Amino acid sequence: MKILLTGGSGCGKSSFAESLVMKFPLPRWYVATMQSYGAESERKIARHRAMRATKGFETIESQTDVGKIELPRGGTVLLECLCNLTANEMFDAEGNERDPYDKILREVRSLAEKADNLILVTNDVGSDAESYSDSTLRYVDTLGRLNAVFASEFDLVYELVCGIPILLKGEAV
Amino acid sequence: MILVIGARSSGKRAYVEALGYGPETIADGVLDDRPVLYNLQDITMADPEGAPALLESLKDKEVVVCDEVGSGVIPLEKARRLGREATGRLCCQLAREATQVVRLVAGIPTVIKG
Repeated sequence: MKILLTGGSGCGKSSFAESLVMKFPLPRWYVATMQSYGAESERKIARHRAMRATKGFETIESQTDVGKIELPRGGTVLLECLCNLTANEMFDAEGNERDPYDKILREVRSLAEKADNLILVTNDVGSDAESYSDSTLRYVDTLGRLNAVFASEFDLVYELVCGIPILLKGEAV
Repeated sequence: MILVIGARSSGKRAYVEALGYGPETIADGVLDDRPVLYNLQDITMADPEGAPALLESLKDKEVVVCDEVGSGVIPLEKARRLGREATGRLCCQLAREATQVVRLVAGIPTVIKG
């Protein structure tokens, strides 16, 4: 089973993702893509860790290269989130940019094949009317295209709104 | 309590008025004893850290109306980033407490809870 979760900031994607993972047997893998940039991201990372602490997750830190992750026992993978992964693959610490679309597509597909179940969390970054640099617009475009292709390949797609899951594709588990 | 959400100018106020709430019953971006709080995001975006403490008084409202502010590129400006998160988390809690959650899209209400 492959499941895509989308929605804006603070809409309850993480806690819904974890409740989905709990429907599947052990092992449960949490692929953490967030890079720490100081107190704010540390707080967010700590909050996510606390949510997973009692749920039998094993954490894999992987800011890039998710295709290299090995899962000897299969299991259920929660990858959070595609927006961080895309930014990490697209921009390096010096601000150099590359097109990460093909690599991410290949590597997430490869991870999905190794896992029994994959839950992929993403974000709806295209829904505003702000003006951005060309490079940010390329990021929005890349993530939007990745969202669409994973949504078409996956079994279930949910949008989270105020913590309420809205099923956009498939039959609920 | 009914929670009404949706994008800016998506028809939320007209929906609330159609429920029978006149202008005198609608508080716009201020917390007072009127039964409808409109533009909750004006309060939470201005003071993200104070957002969780609003839950108790908002539970007693008949209707709470909030813009969905969490979509789009994550802002570089920290205050706006925290404001979006705080607004979203408060709306998750309000949705749990609410008897009904209604989302407006292009003026069309969809009941997503209740």
